[in-house]
Amino acid sequence: MTQSFRRISLILLNRLASLLAVMFGVSFLTFLLYYFSPGDKALAIGQARYGGEGDIQPEIAAMIREEFGLDKPLFSQFLHWLGPFLQGDFGKSFVSQEEVWVIFVPNVLETLSLALTALIIGLCLAFVLATLSVWKPGSLIDRFAVAFASIGAAMPSFWLGLLLILFFSATLKWLPAYGSEGLEHLILPATTLGLWVTTSQTRLFRSFLLEAKAAPHLEALRLRGVSESELFWKHILRHAMIPAVTMIGVDLAGLLEGAVIVEVIFSRNGIGALFVHSVLSRDYPLIMFLVLFSAFSYVLINTLVEIVQDWLVPIKRVNRGAVS
Amino acid sequence: MISSNSDALTTGADVSVPQSDLSRFLKRLGIAIVVVGLAFAAAFMLTPYQPNEANFLMRLKPPSATHWFGTDNLGRDVVTRILYGAGWSLGLAFLISGLGAVVGVLVGLSAGSAPRWFDQFLMRVTDSFFAFPELIAAIAIAGILGPSTSNMVIALVMVSWMRYARLTRSLTLELSKKDFITQAYLNHLPFRLILWRHYLPNLKLGLLVLWTNMWARTILSISGLSFLGFGVQPPEAEWGAMLLDGKSYMQTAPHLMIFPGLAVLIAVLSLNLIGDQLRDHIEKNL
Repeated sequence: MTQSFRRISLILLNRLASLLAVMFGVSFLTFLLYYFSPGDKALAIGQARYGGEGDIQPEIAAMIREEFGLDKPLFSQFLHWLGPFLQGDFGKSFVSQEEVWVIFVPNVLETLSLALTALIIGLCLAFVLATLSVWKPGSLIDRFAVAFASIGAAMPSFWLGLLLILFFSATLKWLPAYGSEGLEHLILPATTLGLWVTTSQTRLFRSFLLEAKAAPHLEALRLRGVSESELFWKHILRHAMIPAVTMIGVDLAGLLEGAVIVEVIFSRNGIGALFVHSVLSRDYPLIMFLVLFSAFSYVLINTLVEIVQDWLVPIKRVNRGAVS
Repeated sequence: MISSNSDALTTGADVSVPQSDLSRFLKRLGIAIVVVGLAFAAAFMLTPYQPNEANFLMRLKPPSATHWFGTDNLGRDVVTRILYGAGWSLGLAFLISGLGAVVGVLVGLSAGSAPRWFDQFLMRVTDSFFAFPELIAAIAIAGILGPSTSNMVIALVMVSWMRYARLTRSLTLELSKKDFITQAYLNHLPFRLILWRHYLPNLKLGLLVLWTNMWARTILSISGLSFLGFGVQPPEAEWGAMLLDGKSYMQTAPHLMIFPGLAVLIAVLSLNLIGDQLRDHIEKNL
């Protein structure tokens, strides 16, 4: 008991240590992105602070260089940059002069509502398709589901969005194409993103279900007289759900990427569109914050998924030395 | 003596992969690629238009006998542009996935055969690169460096080498436990030879499957980045950039939006299917 507890806490410590290492690496890489960006940083900061497009006086530029440590070596500049971040001060946008935090919150809420709706639509559809397809492997529905998944995997999401706009907004005029107010504006973007979720998850669900269907203990249950439908709902599905649930965490990066494209196409508010606009206007504080946010949330969620897996799957606990 | 011995051991390791089925598949694949390539070459020679040849009398015409996929807002022939776009998409993606493979294999091989602390260090670096969602990192890099084709190549190589590194490392670690590698080390074969004769030949099939996969993904990334304005710039006939151009004419000329997207879909789908087939054939033979 104590030994297994010790082993688990060791694994946990190991995971946390590599999480910290990766977060440090992520911060450093993000800083490098800024460090190697072309143009005079003191000039950019000065213009942002005092307004105007022209040159700023050399004395002021020197002052800014001093203040931000721009003439110091790379690593101390990095620490200078990281310090305020650790204290929760993410700086002000170069463009709107608002706190990055203030701009971020309403946008992330928009993106979350889009992503959650898409996730629900996508997972439901994937679930139905995968269940129907494993009901009779090789049937017409099965072949349709497989073809749907492979076509979907090759479909550029921006093209799918454009086609939906062309069909439902431009031709049929059923739904509005642009904007972010109200439910009817959410349908097309969420469907675009949701179909992407469906295509990536249908394959996985299907293979997990097929795997669970082939488990040898099902034969024993069948011999005991358990009905096929009970077998499916109570045993096969439950087994297939465990790996499927952990895959959703891994897909977060895909959802975020999809949100960038969908928000741009449908002119929605959200962190994806915010990110593209901030890159176009070289609004470095916003860019840095959003890049760090996306990487950190990805790393954190994946570490959580891994920890849950460590608890759920005893074999991983024992064989960890061999696996890692 | 040593070399003949090691050759025997290498072939001994390759016996687990019976060549007949796989090589037949590869041969058929090669023939298919040559046929498609010839078809493209014939199309280039037969089309009477240039990709950037404007003709203002023929603006936004729907598909017809002279312009099969119609013309765009400057009267350029869409078929010709899509043909040239294949060069951008397939060729650039080929280059990018190849460069990514070189970087990734180098990192993976060093991680897999280095002392443990260095391996751990390299893997944390790889993890850090992996933590950034691909598209977001690529937009940030390409956007900050300035939107252009070469900056897009840099950005996409930087966000794509990690998969190769991870695969190479895990395969290398697995191989290191094999007898024929131990034997090679015991025979004091120089590391360079062990690398060329024992590690790389056994890595190549796994890497090939990943590479077809990455090639397809990169086509999607290139068209996505170009569509957002961070990749290949207009007036170049790249599929994503063509979609960006065509977006404004959605109501009047929907064919401008349909054909370039279809081209991306078909290219990626075919590469994915080839990759799947390749993987199945290799797995069946293992």
